[in-house]
Amino acid sequence: MLLQALGKIAQTLVVLFFVSVASFGLLKLAPGDPIQIMLGSEYSQESYDSLKTELGLDQPFLVQYADWAGRFIQGDWGTSYVARAEIFTYAFKEALPVTLTLASFSLAFAILIGVPLGVLSAVKKDTIFDAGSAVLALTGTAFPSFLLGILLIWFFAVKLQLFPVMGYVSPWENFWLGIYHMILPGLTLSTYFIAMITRLTRATLIEVMEQPYITAARARGEPSWRVVWVHGVRNIAMPLVTILGLQLGVLLQGTVLTETVFNLPGIGQMLTSAVLGREYLVMQAGVMMTAALFIGVNLLVDLSYPFLDPRLRARK
Amino acid sequence: MTKLDHKKVLAERLSARFGRRAVLKGIGAGIVTAATGSVPSLARAQQSGHIKIASIKVIDTLDPHFTGFLSSIQIINNIHNGLLKIAYDGENVTFEPDLAETWDLEDDKTHVFKLRDGVKFHDGTPCDAEAVKFSLLRVKEGKPKSPHAWKLALLERIEVVDPLTVRLIFSQPYAFLPVALNGSTGRAGTIVSPAAVQKYGTDYGRNPVGTGPFKFVSWKENDSIELEANPDYFEPGLPKLERATFVLMNEASTALAALMSGQIDGMTDCPMQLVNQIEAFPNATLYGEIEGNYTFVGMNCKRSPFDDINLRRAVAWGLDRDTIVKQAYFGRAQQAYTPISPPMTDFFDPNIATSGRGQWYDLDKAKAFRAKAANQGEVEAVYMMAERGPVGTRIAQTVAPMLAEIGIKAKLELVEPATWVKRRNGADFDLYDFEWVADLDPDETLYPEFKSDGAWNFGGWVNTDFDDLCAQAQVELDPAARRALYYKAEDLLMDEAGIAVMAHMPIYKVFSNKVKGFKYIPADLVNLHSVSLD
Repeated sequence: MLLQALGKIAQTLVVLFFVSVASFGLLKLAPGDPIQIMLGSEYSQESYDSLKTELGLDQPFLVQYADWAGRFIQGDWGTSYVARAEIFTYAFKEALPVTLTLASFSLAFAILIGVPLGVLSAVKKDTIFDAGSAVLALTGTAFPSFLLGILLIWFFAVKLQLFPVMGYVSPWENFWLGIYHMILPGLTLSTYFIAMITRLTRATLIEVMEQPYITAARARGEPSWRVVWVHGVRNIAMPLVTILGLQLGVLLQGTVLTETVFNLPGIGQMLTSAVLGREYLVMQAGVMMTAALFIGVNLLVDLSYPFLDPRLRARK
Repeated sequence: MTKLDHKKVLAERLSARFGRRAVLKGIGAGIVTAATGSVPSLARAQQSGHIKIASIKVIDTLDPHFTGFLSSIQIINNIHNGLLKIAYDGENVTFEPDLAETWDLEDDKTHVFKLRDGVKFHDGTPCDAEAVKFSLLRVKEGKPKSPHAWKLALLERIEVVDPLTVRLIFSQPYAFLPVALNGSTGRAGTIVSPAAVQKYGTDYGRNPVGTGPFKFVSWKENDSIELEANPDYFEPGLPKLERATFVLMNEASTALAALMSGQIDGMTDCPMQLVNQIEAFPNATLYGEIEGNYTFVGMNCKRSPFDDINLRRAVAWGLDRDTIVKQAYFGRAQQAYTPISPPMTDFFDPNIATSGRGQWYDLDKAKAFRAKAANQGEVEAVYMMAERGPVGTRIAQTVAPMLAEIGIKAKLELVEPATWVKRRNGADFDLYDFEWVADLDPDETLYPEFKSDGAWNFGGWVNTDFDDLCAQAQVELDPAARRALYYKAEDLLMDEAGIAVMAHMPIYKVFSNKVKGFKYIPADLVNLHSVSLD
């Protein structure tokens, strides 16, 4: 078990290495020049050259990569070219917690709403309720989240003034205010996942409910809520965790738009502004963090299987 | 021209300031205590309120000598002062001494600035003649080189006469000087704390230290920039606010929603497409006029097909400006005939529309030019566009059918903004549209953009007579004579259709009605000096 885990971690590091080389190269290949952007319209060739040397952008690709990678591993992520932001502070200490908070909230919403909805649809299969939840789920998957975000803002924040329009308050500093600020963005980002989880839960549960052990439980005379929620729902944990791990990429992608609409200073906004400004080092830090997050979560998913399904535990 | 002429000009420029100073003398002792730093409890008591303003555009750096963005200057100008500043009385734009108390011309190349006594930077160091010299030299010859160095290229020598007097000697009379030396759009005349520059080096832009009404507190990326009142500010009774937060945002419609729900108090920029909504909203006030800018369709004069003057002229006369203003600019802009824009009150001709100068829509004329063009077949041209500028790709989409009318098939190519900049600077386009903004003097409107080897002459139009006229105008201090030179230069540019000029745009700001005392200046500034909150 431990050995297996170590092997997976080693794999992770190799993947991260390839990600770093690929993204570093691709970013440099993209047309556009950070110096031209930072100098705006009014500059001379002299200013251009002088800045290029200053920033080390006149060095060959491999030198730049080696220099960057060496420092990155030691936690020195550099400073952004123009704004001179300390990238480690900016990306890791400021932006990452925002995105993690947003992602956890939407996941929580998705599970808290999606699972019960899916269970009810399965239990009341082929009723009006089931059809209704199917329509909801379809709409949820098809509806672009940014549009939903704007609609939520206009209705709940501007018209009804129930929630703040935008901004981030760290739940670690002010728990209730933090949650209050996360409700609209969390809902916006979670619609897709609510829909997905509802459908997944329904499909899995319908299958589970036909299993002999369910029939056995019913035969024992257990109340039907216990049959469904204890014997049945337990079995959807594995497919659910697998899908969530795989769909984390979609979730991280979704944070870009959600963060923009609700003005949350997370990784999504960081990456957007870095790409527009060709802030190579900031982009690189963002790519590395999202890659590590994605791989890390999938590693956890793998490692969690034995806990979720006793049959997978190594037998002594 | 004689020495007396520009003395008179200067006296006129200064008159408003002299009037104010007389009033200040009346208040007397109170100011002296404030300036010498013994905590003026009265001044502190006046400061109250925390304003939150959305800043939608990119903030690159808070270093005045290195920023390329007006959105940054909006903030920088609250932290720093210039030698001069821009003033606006609702009709005329003038330049007044700011950190300077007086500004005098010894001869047409020598300017003497007497500084205010007792002004201190936020770090406690004095703002004296040495600091002024340090700042100007940092722009002129600092390393890395400031993008604004060209504005002080003619500055030959800086003499520190006494701790409060500095003499600037230029190699030629320099008509652009008031713009170059102001702390706003000119940037080159912004005075920074030498101690802070030495302490922070290239990181000064994250730790700006000026003399302005607000001190820099913090900058969180993509989140906010915080300022707090400078209780020792030299203008008595100012600032009125205790704290100011610039909320950094990417999405204008979110900012609008936040304004309407009262979460923020204003926006440093209100995109034209949101103006209707603001006007319908009773609790906010819109500020905005046509500013010192012009928009145009640029043509690549260095390669086929637009190396053909007649084809360029066909474009210049074939663009229906009225439709462009209505469709691309939401009916908010004003048709432009030449680049010189309305806020340049000494130079703009209010009767330009009937003067017969410049370019305007005349399809017959356009077709006549088209008939003279070398290529009589269908001309294909790459129109490079990006989601950038005030209205994104709307201009390209509005203009393309007009080009079709005169037998030019525009291939619209949508590229990402960074690519757009690279291709524009490398002259890799046939057509593009662009805007030069926040110009207060014709020199910055015309010369670097269109002189033969100009750094920003991306279209590559060349006319040496134009170069000569602009060079003469640069050293001509008499506004009337200068105006005549610029008109001639503009006429050459318009006639040879180096560009097809389109419109002058209004730049909007919006504040909730709780915000009092905002003074609008048509140079895209958000000066919070006099602002208070109800």
